[in-house]
Amino acid sequence: MKRSWLLRRVLASLLVLICVLVLNFALFRVMPGDAVSTIIDPNFSPEAKERLRALYGLDRPMLEQFFIYLKQMLTFRFGLSFLSRRPVWDELLSRLPGTITLMSLSMAASAALGIWLGVKSAVRRGSWIEKLVLRAGAVMSSFPGFFVQLVLLMLLARDFPIFPLRGSVSVPPPAGGWALLADRLWHLSLPVLSLTLMGFGGWALYVRNLMVRALGEDFVLMARARGLSPRSVVYGHAFRTILPPIVTILLMSVPGLVSGAVITETVFSLRGVGAFLLEALSGHDYPAAGASFYLLALITVSCNLLADVVYGLVDPRVRIEGVNR
Amino acid sequence: MKALLRRPSVWAFICIVLAGIFGPRLLGGSPSDTVGAPFARPAWLGASLSSSKTIELKCSGDRVSVLGAGFAESGGPKAENGSAEFDWNSQPPAIFALEGKIAADPALTATVVWSTPKGDFELARLTGREQYWLNLDARDMMFKRSLGLPLIGQAVADLFPSAGRYALRVSGAHSYSLKLSLPGRRQGLLGTDQRGRDVFALLLSGISTSLTVGISATLAATLLGLGFGLTAGYAGGLTDALIMRAVDVLLAIPTLPILMTLAGLWGKGLWQLVLILSIFSWMGTARSVRALTLSVREQPWVEGLRALGAKRGYILWRHLVPETAPILLANLALGVPGAVLSEAGLAFLGLSDPRLISWGRMLHEAHSFGAFTEGAWWLILPPGLGIVALCLIFMDIGRFLEEKIDPRLGGKDHA
Repeated sequence: MKRSWLLRRVLASLLVLICVLVLNFALFRVMPGDAVSTIIDPNFSPEAKERLRALYGLDRPMLEQFFIYLKQMLTFRFGLSFLSRRPVWDELLSRLPGTITLMSLSMAASAALGIWLGVKSAVRRGSWIEKLVLRAGAVMSSFPGFFVQLVLLMLLARDFPIFPLRGSVSVPPPAGGWALLADRLWHLSLPVLSLTLMGFGGWALYVRNLMVRALGEDFVLMARARGLSPRSVVYGHAFRTILPPIVTILLMSVPGLVSGAVITETVFSLRGVGAFLLEALSGHDYPAAGASFYLLALITVSCNLLADVVYGLVDPRVRIEGVNR
Repeated sequence: MKALLRRPSVWAFICIVLAGIFGPRLLGGSPSDTVGAPFARPAWLGASLSSSKTIELKCSGDRVSVLGAGFAESGGPKAENGSAEFDWNSQPPAIFALEGKIAADPALTATVVWSTPKGDFELARLTGREQYWLNLDARDMMFKRSLGLPLIGQAVADLFPSAGRYALRVSGAHSYSLKLSLPGRRQGLLGTDQRGRDVFALLLSGISTSLTVGISATLAATLLGLGFGLTAGYAGGLTDALIMRAVDVLLAIPTLPILMTLAGLWGKGLWQLVLILSIFSWMGTARSVRALTLSVREQPWVEGLRALGAKRGYILWRHLVPETAPILLANLALGVPGAVLSEAGLAFLGLSDPRLISWGRMLHEAHSFGAFTEGAWWLILPPGLGIVALCLIFMDIGRFLEEKIDPRLGGKDHA
């Protein structure tokens, strides 16, 4: 029974992925201007263009082209970047760790802070913490991330130079493994801080609402009646029941994080996939742009799938519901 | 309706709309005009900084006239034998630029002299022609070399060595018309940007861009959501499954990268942006409209209508659409912040029409063209806070409408 549920989720993700691939294929071919120029560097001579057309299979029917493209995408062979003349996959691979680190650090930090504040405000209703959570959760979503980051950058990197102004690493990079790691973390700290500042409000609000509902349940009353310590009631009983939705939201927040990473990398001039996508788009480097969009979509889709799987593991009701439907 | 008018956010919204419509007209001129020096501070800040001055020195026949704004504080100019004199007590201006034309006897030599309390500079020595065009700028290398000033560094500091009496003198010419521009280091209500444009004027023109994109994209998305939601909910079966799958797929695609790609490939105009934003934001509305349609569809009065032989289109248009109206209205107001933020984000990334003034574009230019090295906070705070204010206003109106529809949401207790 579990297998069929898992299969459904995997199929749903595959559907999304196929749509992304079709979209990506269509976008870079059905655009204004010569479709060939999206694949072939405009500086080439006509003969070279013809030869490249044949090489890239652009003279073949659309459907055949699509399958060739599909094969390229699934095997991560994206061709050469127009700008750097290096394989796009190499370029992406060198930038992926930066993006993943930024996303996971900021997700962990904002989730941890948000959950902690959310639980606190649910337990102590009417306290200043709850007021802060309600206000921050409502107001923070109206702040554009890049604006907050620009202000923080101006304050904490220019006026009070605590953090570096730009880049993922100092120029020249410090020697030694630990010094390099420390330098990288120092460069990541303001981006992560800003993303945490932007993200914790929503988390806290969400966790608070879940927690308030959980604390009103009968089993919590029962646990209290048994004379358990408040800590045990809150974390051992009430909090455990809201873990599944928290895990889901954690993974569902990834699309937003991808968007946040693109902006953050641009503001702080970090080395990452998002900044690479922007560079490629503004430099008309179509193979690179298509590949980075595909990679970002892949990250999103796999995290959504992971969310479903984890949710199913934590909460058996989902699996059973999947069968009954 | 009366309760709506008691909401401060509604009044704030009306004020913003009025400022967006009438502000640029009242200010006059195009917001893209260069009005002062680059990165001039707001005028109300730093009294020791120079404010802008323009002096026009004209002579035709015997009449010499001096026109100048802002002379009241530095004593009146005197026009004697082709010179404009004035007092300068603040720091040097940002730019020293002199342009105009001089007509003289070709046999004679005409000179233009800049006289400072610590010595004179001969700006131009003209001979051999009847007409001369002058276009001098203290930032120009040739200008610095001809005056013997250091090539690197600010020439204005040498041209304005101390407080005191300054004069622009012309001799040996029979008619001339010169304009000396001294844009100051403070300018306007909110300073200037890297091109010397007035930030306040830019801010006012940005209102209409944000509002147009935000409202029309949300309107289009709401209509799309209404259409798809009604169809899915009423038709059911395969249509429903297909539309809801499409919703799931669109929700699973990372929004900003796809918006960036579309904006980068399809063009960056205002209406393209509206189209792109609406295609990727109708899903939420579709879901809620579908849910409502599903519940209404099964109600006895709808069944009665069907039994009376009402056509599907009639039931949908006359009965189901009005039912969804409150949800749509609230969704509309709550959707605008998302569209405004997306537009600002794309513009901030440089994926908007460079000719279109918008708040996101202002932040993009502040980020890319050196507002940081200048510490130009007046380029960052006004557009950013503008976006925040607009979003908060729409959130508040949206939440108010939501409470009207579903009073259970009201009150302080959100649990």
